[in-house]
Amino acid sequence: MMNLDEYAREALIDAVGKKNVSFDEAILEVYAYNWGMEVVNSMHGKEPIPFSTPPVAVVLPSTTKEVSKVLRTCKKHDLTFKAQSTGLGPWNNPSRDNCIIIDLRQMNHILKIDERNLFAVIEPYVSGAQLQSELMKHGLNCHMPGAGPQVSLLASSTSMSGPGFTSPSTGYSGRNVLGVEWVLPEGEVLKLGSLGLSNEPDWFCGDGPGPSLRGVMRGLHGAMSGNGVFTRVAIKVFPYPCSTEWEITGDLPDYQFKKPDHIEFYMFDCSKYKKGERVMRAIEEAEISFMCSMLSGFGAAAFFSNSLEGVIDKVTIARMRVPILVAITGRTSRQFQYRQEVMEHLISKFKLENVIGSKFTPPSISYAEAIRNNFGMHGFISTGGVRSAHGSMESIGMCMNVTKANIPLKKKYIKREQIANDFGEAVWSTSIERGHMYNIEAMALYDQCDKHSITGVAGYCIDSNEMDLHNHLGIPLFVEGDELHDHFGPECSNYHEWLRKIKQILDPTCIADPGNYISPGKKKKEGET
Amino acid sequence: MLKSEYENMINRCVRCSICKWIPQVQIKNQEHASICPSIDFYNFHSHSGGGRIILALALEMGRVEMNEKVRDIVFQCTACGGCSIACQYLNTLDPTEVIMDLRRKLVQEGVGPMPKHQAFMDNVIQSGNPYGEPRKARAEWLEEGIEIDDSAETLYFVGCTSSYRRKEIARATAKVLNKAGLAFKILGSDETCCGSPLFRTGEDDQFEKIVERNVAMIEKAGIETVVCSCAGCFDMFRVEYPERASFSFNVISTAELFNRLIDEGRLKTGAGKDITVTYHDPCHLGRQAEVHEHWEGDVIEVMPIMKLNIPEKPKRCGAGGVYDAPRNVLEKLNNITLVEMDRIREYSYCCGAGGGAKAAFPEFALHTGKTRISEAESTGATCVISACPFCSTNLKDSIKESESSMDFKDLGELVLESLGRDEKNFDGMKEDMEGKHDES
Ligand SMILES: Cc1cc2nc3c(=O)[nH]c(=O)nc-3n(C[C@H](O)[C@H](O)[C@H](O)COP(=O)(O)OP(=O)(O)OC[C@H]3O[C@@H](n4cnc5c(N)ncnc54)[C@H](O)[C@@H]3O)c2cc1C
Ligand code: SF4
Ligand code: SF4
Repeated sequence: MMNLDEYAREALIDAVGKKNVSFDEAILEVYAYNWGMEVVNSMHGKEPIPFSTPPVAVVLPSTTKEVSKVLRTCKKHDLTFKAQSTGLGPWNNPSRDNCIIIDLRQMNHILKIDERNLFAVIEPYVSGAQLQSELMKHGLNCHMPGAGPQVSLLASSTSMSGPGFTSPSTGYSGRNVLGVEWVLPEGEVLKLGSLGLSNEPDWFCGDGPGPSLRGVMRGLHGAMSGNGVFTRVAIKVFPYPCSTEWEITGDLPDYQFKKPDHIEFYMFDCSKYKKGERVMRAIEEAEISFMCSMLSGFGAAAFFSNSLEGVIDKVTIARMRVPILVAITGRTSRQFQYRQEVMEHLISKFKLENVIGSKFTPPSISYAEAIRNNFGMHGFISTGGVRSAHGSMESIGMCMNVTKANIPLKKKYIKREQIANDFGEAVWSTSIERGHMYNIEAMALYDQCDKHSITGVAGYCIDSNEMDLHNHLGIPLFVEGDELHDHFGPECSNYHEWLRKIKQILDPTCIADPGNYISPGKKKKEGET
Repeated sequence: MLKSEYENMINRCVRCSICKWIPQVQIKNQEHASICPSIDFYNFHSHSGGGRIILALALEMGRVEMNEKVRDIVFQCTACGGCSIACQYLNTLDPTEVIMDLRRKLVQEGVGPMPKHQAFMDNVIQSGNPYGEPRKARAEWLEEGIEIDDSAETLYFVGCTSSYRRKEIARATAKVLNKAGLAFKILGSDETCCGSPLFRTGEDDQFEKIVERNVAMIEKAGIETVVCSCAGCFDMFRVEYPERASFSFNVISTAELFNRLIDEGRLKTGAGKDITVTYHDPCHLGRQAEVHEHWEGDVIEVMPIMKLNIPEKPKRCGAGGVYDAPRNVLEKLNNITLVEMDRIREYSYCCGAGGGAKAAFPEFALHTGKTRISEAESTGATCVISACPFCSTNLKDSIKESESSMDFKDLGELVLESLGRDEKNFDGMKEDMEGKHDES
């Protein structure tokens, strides 16, 4: 680990105050750990441990001004930085040994809920559950990424990916961003969209005047802290899907939820992917779902369980081949009734059997989890480790191609006993914005304490990227860092050169850790010095 | 916790931060979404349940050395158990157990506990209480009119805090028992600390000696039931003692006992003033009072990587705590209106005093207490009720610090008020009801 000189220390203390900086080894080591870091290390040929290079300092700013001061300090003292909001996942970890972590935990305000114009303005450490619980008071709801209600909405909106279980009705984080406050890597504050107006600036629009910079800001997957720090963002909000009653009784782990009016699950087995594709298309064309996910039988059983034992118990659904889980909701009785009738019509048209209420009764708390977007963490209950190894955000046809092509690849690792046997089929696929786009993620269930298992997942991730590239299966989930961009770019319109130009303009001296983005420097050709 | 369990646990944190919040489905608003006082005050991830699990792994892997900074992180925590119940909603980790293990290791290595705790420990060993008060003064809370029956089979285990610092709680408890006609005795100057301060700060060897001594003394006295008005003592007797000793007496909290006595018609309530109250669940009467259920079974690899516990491992997530009894008591005191805070029962927010925090990190303890008082204020109640002298101390300090107009009462005091005056009155009762508490 690099030793930070006294001047740099003083400057960081000056920027955020003494109690908001740590140079202590014990604290820095805690920030070097993350879920999935062991897989990333393994993918880079390193020891498969869940620790990265530790940061040289951690700072906890409270204002945009402090963030800006910190970034200027980084520039002056030749440091890099990684920003984190709620900090889940290896994308939060330093890739350089001169990196500081900017933990935005103290920037946690909901600044505005604009009921009439349907947006909310938030800081980085506002979680999905926090914003939703406040929005509910206004009859509103927000989109949350599939990782769960505990993660930052700002991080998902500005910097990373963003599909979620309610994507059919609430879109995808990258599409919900309006005005943005962005501290560029060298400390300058940039305001995007209507926020940049000199006369009555407001948050309602993310584009213009002038060319929109939203694509530059995040593109499809986000720069993961590689292009600055986002300190405030306005995001679209949506009408709350059903009645806002929220009553939970019982004690953990047996919570019961009083199912609010106007929400119901439907689940059926489409048996074949082709049929699944047709059914999903039809449901989304009808614009009736709050949530509509294609799963594997095993995945569906996990949604309704809080332990592996619970999954095993749910044979009825665990043995389904291509289950689709739909949540139908309505703001009014009439809307709910209409949507249910359409759903019933589709069930009969496609000769499906709805198992909810007949062969399977979901625990009541599942309805709360559907609304609160709490299904994601159920992925961990079977083996302790889970990672989306293969996937894409594409048309439904392409997503189905990925799903099918993935099976033999995944089976290779199942056969080697490196990942759990889901017959190669465990995927989560959802429509986004009523079917305009789809997201598919193939999960690998692994054991994070078992080296053999970790190296298997790493191999699976690498092979998945290659498969996507060579079989033209769409943009993979995790193409990050120089090596992968330089590998993919030449095959994909040389996009990497444009990305690098953006980095050169925004961050010529590479202050923002480029580990999950791209560095400004051109990659040297072999033999070049 | 077995070594294998510990190792398994410290390797499996997902860093999801769920342990910083109350269970996600219970979040009702932004302000009262957090469950961890430590991360709320110190803010670095190291100061969350998950952060401390990572620290344990870093220590195990030799990435970090046991030093004073590690010690501070491990002790800057109220050991409230909130992180554990939050994690166990979907995962299986128990950060609080890992924290307790780390504390024991720090003590064994001579790095812990905190210097302030060391003084407490020395006092417990020498004087039988953490405050260093003389043993013979232990029963000085007793006042004329309180009837002690040395032949009784019920023991009121008063505890150090009520004996020396929150005497009004001891008096109220004793008077309520007298009014119910329930004969009880006390150990007086023979009573020794339950060991909670030693247990919570990692002094396991000394704690075991105390358990042995207390169990032997109570058994010898032919006690059938031990009554605790202190949540800390109750937690020790109900949860930790059985892990270390076998005994035949029952343990009951005053909340449970009062509830029973009211149901049996032995306490005639309804005489107090009309007030709106809110109830603070002490961690050690609530989630931490759930007994350890030891799992025995087989781990079967149903398929490679996927291991199944047969039978299923029980989760210790607070369901076995004492939540309904105090609420039932409040409901039965006719003049009381109970309004609940946002964080209650197993996902209650700690008062800030526990785990040695009040002694070693008073600013942290007070910050936490003030957060809780502000939550209590938001209910519209005028009085906070709880059932623990330690919560009482910190919440009262916090009320004072935040210049709140709220009142604080122990459940026993409220029950006593509700019993009113009658021929079996006590001299000290008026004073108690007027809130002239002994702050000595
Ligand atoms: C079970 C599970 C399911 C998941 N499902 C999904 C899913 O469905 N959809 C999805 O999108 N993701 C998913 N993820 C991936 C990922 O965890 C999420 O994208 C999540 O939003 C990232 O974590 P976070 O919100 O805590 O943000 P953080 O981890 O704080 O940030 C994410 C990235 O953005 C950067 N960043 C954070 N804040 C800022 C800022 N203010 N300025 C600049 N850069 C910043 C960070 O450096 C990091 O690279 C899943 C993860 C898990 C564990
Ligand atoms: S201790 Fe549990 S809840 Fe906390 S970060 Fe780790 S896995 Fe998540
Ligand atoms: S025991 Fe309480 S204070 Fe300590 S880490 Fe857990 S929730 Fe935080």
